[in-house]
Amino acid sequence: MKNYLIICLIAALLVGCKKDDKPEFDRKAMLTNMASTVIQPAYTGMAADLAALHTSATNFTANPTVTALNTLKSDFIEAYKTWQHCKMFDFGPMMDYGIKASMNTYPTDTVQIQNNVSTGVYTLTALENVDAIGFPAIDFLLYYQGETAVINSFTTDPNATNRKTYLTDVTAKMKSEFDLVVSGWSSYESSFIASDGNDAGSSTSLLFNEFVKDIELLKNAKIGIPAGQQTGGMPLPDYVEAYYSGISTSLAIESIIGLKNVFNGATGSGFDDYIKDVEGEDVTVSLADNINTQFDVCKSAVNTIGNPLSDKVTTANTTVNNAYLEIKKLVTYCKTDMSSTLGLLITFQDNDGD
Amino acid sequence: MTGIRNRIRFNWFEQVSAAPLAVYRIGFGLLMLFSTLRFIANGWVEAQYISPSFHFSYYGFEWLPYPSPEGIYALFILMLIGSILILLGLFYRIGATLFFLAFTYVELLDKANYLNHYYFVSLIALLLIFIPANRYFSLDAKLGLTKYSKTCSKWNIRILQFQIAIVYIFAGIAKLESDWLLEAQPLKYWLHTAHHWEFFGPILKQDWVAYTFAWFGCIYDLTIVLFLALKKTRKIAYVFVIIFHVTTWLLFPIGVFPWVMMFATLIFFEPSLHEKILNFLRVLFGHHSPAIRRHPNVSRIPRTVIKGALALYIFIQIAMPFRYLLYDGNLFWTEQGFRFSWRVMLMEKAGYATFYVSDPDTHAEVEIKNCDYLTPNQEKMMSTQPDMILQFAHYLEEEYKDTTVERFGTQMTFTAPEVHAEVFVTLNSRPHQLYVDREHNLASIDNDLSERDWLEAFKE
Repeated sequence: MKNYLIICLIAALLVGCKKDDKPEFDRKAMLTNMASTVIQPAYTGMAADLAALHTSATNFTANPTVTALNTLKSDFIEAYKTWQHCKMFDFGPMMDYGIKASMNTYPTDTVQIQNNVSTGVYTLTALENVDAIGFPAIDFLLYYQGETAVINSFTTDPNATNRKTYLTDVTAKMKSEFDLVVSGWSSYESSFIASDGNDAGSSTSLLFNEFVKDIELLKNAKIGIPAGQQTGGMPLPDYVEAYYSGISTSLAIESIIGLKNVFNGATGSGFDDYIKDVEGEDVTVSLADNINTQFDVCKSAVNTIGNPLSDKVTTANTTVNNAYLEIKKLVTYCKTDMSSTLGLLITFQDNDGD
Repeated sequence: MTGIRNRIRFNWFEQVSAAPLAVYRIGFGLLMLFSTLRFIANGWVEAQYISPSFHFSYYGFEWLPYPSPEGIYALFILMLIGSILILLGLFYRIGATLFFLAFTYVELLDKANYLNHYYFVSLIALLLIFIPANRYFSLDAKLGLTKYSKTCSKWNIRILQFQIAIVYIFAGIAKLESDWLLEAQPLKYWLHTAHHWEFFGPILKQDWVAYTFAWFGCIYDLTIVLFLALKKTRKIAYVFVIIFHVTTWLLFPIGVFPWVMMFATLIFFEPSLHEKILNFLRVLFGHHSPAIRRHPNVSRIPRTVIKGALALYIFIQIAMPFRYLLYDGNLFWTEQGFRFSWRVMLMEKAGYATFYVSDPDTHAEVEIKNCDYLTPNQEKMMSTQPDMILQFAHYLEEEYKDTTVERFGTQMTFTAPEVHAEVFVTLNSRPHQLYVDREHNLASIDNDLSERDWLEAFKE
């Protein structure tokens, strides 16, 4: 009888407390949403953009006209922007195929590219060519000089034929490698969703770590290094992303949009909901709102810089540094408050919380 | 009143049954054998002791040579041998000494790996060297390597009980603070994120669960030793010991510590229970007690020396956790006097530390990528602990002193580098605040036990 009463009491307590609860947050649901509304669409978009890029590269090399070049350029910019929405998913198939390095290692090695073009003998997958392929290589090939000179390099130049082959080899490689990611993801997706713990190898942990790493990349590679943060304040204009096309700032903005989308899980369950669920109702200003605000601050700070970043690092030093500092604040939020709130473990080792 | 006084003023050298010691010895040896094997099998020797290139040595132990990878593995093999010798009671004192030295050596190599339960293991191993736990139910006794004795001095048992009392009571006292009792932090957030069970998850997310756990944990820590000591409440107290530690084991990645405590608290039980355990083992292994005449348990060491050593040990154990009172500032923030004080699961800190190495003469300056020098665990630990921040800064100073580095095609020369850091820290779910301001040249600040006035003040 006594035991029965105790059980009833506990049950009543549990039911009583569950009633006033918000809709249940659940890591698995977040991962499912991330997979279907954030990662999958980014991958599909990337695959489509790379297919289009390869097609217009083929068309341009078959018939190197100004129109074909402009189509190719706009497809290039489109794909480069979409890449900013993919690069933070450096786990699973993307990590397996080393996509991050092969797509976007910059600054590109122009000597290596010229050498590959003039000899016509190269293995694009070789380590020595990691900075002679991907978006930065195309950026160089299509923008290294004015329109006429570029057209000439694909028509009248002694190496024109080789250069055509090189361009389409690069775009073909990007397309075929990313197709592997897309097909790899379809089989990886279920294990991604299934690993819903908070341990060091869990998917939430992977996603969070890559998300933070990508914000740090935004801070260092896109802004900090060209601004001279690593070189005692001496600006390095040729270290910007997309140096030749000069779209660096636009790509940085795109990157912020992509990262914010990951944070919010597009319109579904994301890190923002997770944070709010852990915080509970007695928190006046949610960390999630602070982070979203900081994303917007970063975006407008980067937007203020304008294009091309390679000039702005010397002519608008203060504005560039301001953007750098705002992105650093965003990293601080993620590495301190967000990491602490999500309670993700960084190692598999024992821990008694000291 | 006199009853209580008599209980406290007991004769430390009164002869009592040695059965609890034999069980303690076997249990400790077994658990250490298991946990050392587990540590090796999980690849943690590599991850924690071989892959790091920089090591956060302990204050006063900087001179300790860092072994080669083979040396590290040799130390772990010594731990295995030591724990087997303790377990069997064979060359017991050598075994206990080996285990203590090897284990403590490894612990002293890098404070990024500090855990209270490792400290507990070191202390027990140290005590076991001086406690003759091999006179009864051991191979030493069986083979005549030591005097067989069914009894031991009472202090042998009492000092082990005292050590457990220290762990629990100080853990309980540490919980008497507002974050734990009034906010149920960091427990509330941990419980929220620790689960991934369909059924328990929603329950653990309830605030009242966090408060119940916090208050229960505090009261448990403060009172469990008393209830274990009283005969009337001992059995029910042990049920609570099991409930408490199994719960923590299920919820948190706390390793073997719960099992160590569940076993160690058996020392509070009467000898009859331990005899039962030993009888069970006798049946299991067909062990027969050697038919040797009972020796009086006479120690060659003068009693005053033993008493003096015990008093010193007890004093140190009680004083250590209170040393934080010598410092100003919030203990959780400055962490001065935090380690070796049984403050378990009390705070959730996360930090972001950016280091800058510069040379005002050459105008060279670089921002440091911490992961170039530290493992993820080391970086996490360093980012919130002032002494480790200083150690890392001093290491960077050495690395950059009189060197020319090339960064992004630019050469920079450092002769007498300054090291500055900007560190932000969040403590128990408060919004992050500045921890170390970039204005300080950390290279010029000594890493000693003095007040850490270079830390920013903690804002509630």
